[in-house]
Amino acid sequence: MTHNVACASGVELLMDYLEGVLPADLKADVDEHVTACERCTAFIASYRETPRIVREATEFELPKELGDSLMAFLRAKRGPPRG
Amino acid sequence: MEGVLDRVGDPTDESLAARAVAGDESAFETLVTRYQSRIYRLARRITGHDGDAQDALQETFMQVYRKMASFRGDSRFSTWLYRVATNTALMQRRSRGRRPAESLEAFTARFDDEGRHAEEAAVLAVPCHIEQTLDRKALGEKVRSAVDRLPDLYREAFILRDLDELETARVAEILDLEPATVRQRVHRARVLLRGYLASLAEARP
Repeated sequence: MTHNVACASGVELLMDYLEGVLPADLKADVDEHVTACERCTAFIASYRETPRIVREATEFELPKELGDSLMAFLRAKRGPPRG
Repeated sequence: MEGVLDRVGDPTDESLAARAVAGDESAFETLVTRYQSRIYRLARRITGHDGDAQDALQETFMQVYRKMASFRGDSRFSTWLYRVATNTALMQRRSRGRRPAESLEAFTARFDDEGRHAEEAAVLAVPCHIEQTLDRKALGEKVRSAVDRLPDLYREAFILRDLDELETARVAEILDLEPATVRQRVHRARVLLRGYLASLAEARP
């Protein structure tokens, strides 16, 4: 079976394509389109970079004092040791 | 002993959980220490607010402590913990009732009448270079705001899959969704955030 993959329909398949869950025939059609389409090649590059850019921009470190106060809070809530 | 120690010789989560259920407080605290940074970061990303993240962090581990006996081991301990944390952070976010001013839906991909990308390749590649265009602080503020403005439906799946880098199957388990639904939601979030990053570059003088 052949599918008529345009940029728009290819984009809708992109996550499945990159995760390797597309049926083989559909994957081959997407491959064929992407190989010949510089716009899709550029779109996919930026689509793949987006999670990393967002991840690195939203790194939050647990402040040490918050870790300490969490443990103190949990100990207080739990009360004296069981058993 | 198989199943008690992990590959580097530390106790597995599941063995610690079993000891915690049996009353071993130090086992519970080891689990807290092991996961507190990851759960704080998850809560911070979901709530979009530091105070809410701190509350969600405390509430998550209190719930885990109270419900530990109900952990059956049908799934991994971390999957169960992430589920509790995600739901708790979501409740915290909703209880604050904050509504982002503007959704990101306007930043979806654009196509012409023939289904071809509306922009040239050079324009479509712009988000790849955004870190050279905007300084780190400005980019961080804008991206955090953008994650906050994602449609609710997509945000949790995107955070777990792409920011916490969990496998799709695990995200599906945590959110009680089909993997295909997770992929669809993550995809939508990626497309919107990609479009948003492109708009940041275009907005530069």
